Amino acid sequence: MGKDGSGGFFTTKLDALVNWGRKNSVWPMPFGTSCCGIEMMASLCSDYDMSRFGAEVVRFSPRQSDLLIVAGIINLKMAPVLKTVYDQMSDPKYVMSFGACASSGGIFNVYSVLQGIDTMIPVDVYVPGCPPAPEGVIHALMRLQEMIAKGETHSQRKLAEHQKQQKIGHL
Amino acid sequence: MDIRNPIPTNGGDWLARFQEIWKKQVEILQQKFGDTIEEVRMPPHAPTDVPVIFVKKDQIVEVMNFVKTSPEFDYNFLADITATDEESDPRFEVVYQLFSYTNKNRIRFKVRVSEGDEVPTLVSVWTGANWAEREVFDMFGVRFKGHPDLRRILMDVRWQGHPLRKDYPLRGYQLFTEAEPVDPGLLE
Repeated sequence: MGKDGSGGFFTTKLDALVNWGRKNSVWPMPFGTSCCGIEMMASLCSDYDMSRFGAEVVRFSPRQSDLLIVAGIINLKMAPVLKTVYDQMSDPKYVMSFGACASSGGIFNVYSVLQGIDTMIPVDVYVPGCPPAPEGVIHALMRLQEMIAKGETHSQRKLAEHQKQQKIGHL
Repeated sequence: MDIRNPIPTNGGDWLARFQEIWKKQVEILQQKFGDTIEEVRMPPHAPTDVPVIFVKKDQIVEVMNFVKTSPEFDYNFLADITATDEESDPRFEVVYQLFSYTNKNRIRFKVRVSEGDEVPTLVSVWTGANWAEREVFDMFGVRFKGHPDLRRILMDVRWQGHPLRKDYPLRGYQLFTEAEPVDPGLLE
């Protein structure tokens, strides 16, 4: 690291190495609330096999996982629970909005349904479909891996912003 | 083949059998309770509905107790309690759906109640009426007299208004970012 706080050769390369590690070990936390959850299970099972991309260790504790997969409709009563789960995850954390209901409320434009989880928590990738096909999920995961490698996800950008303000260099 | 004709099952023509049972039961009810039975709507010819019996609000527990215990009726299962908002006076109709395990038939009772009025609770007759009545209270704001635990059951405790009323806006979102506070009474 230089005296002005900018990253030198070694630290930037180290950054790339760490991001490479992060992108190949995305541990998902399933938040399946309806039919999209079934499709998420299908994409985790052996036919489509998300473990090929390092996402095989499904953690049911938010504290041990990196990727929050919100698969299904989120009711207004469920929204604070989702926010709590997101807050409990440790940085860097990524969020996948899985299907029409999680992304926009879907067909349920009524008093009881949250109109897209991005009104509550930041979302990195959206998967369209009702429910999405497993191919779409794998595409979203690969897109997320690209974003992680480039440091483009929400939590990485937030972290970089914080480091820039504090002048503590990379990582 | 006319698809509107009911298909005879192993038990014979169930519509004819049920209609006989229903007619007899309505006669008994009208004899026993007289004025308390406000109105009876028998199902039309199409075999898709059951009789609807309107009962006066204050006698509902008596009528339900009779219907549950007497051998001619034997409606021993409370399938559901719901309500409708009629936007007239009286405003609400509380609906009781009953089923008989012995006769295998259903019947529907209704109680007219105006806004702010209370309906006697059915918890003493069917214990399962507890949560069903809580749901009616949550969705319509109809209060039940003598209910042991009349709290909201589906919506957040901080929710304003009753969402299935006709005057509640369809998109009346109420977003809470923090979790519902725990009722200290429930922890004991």
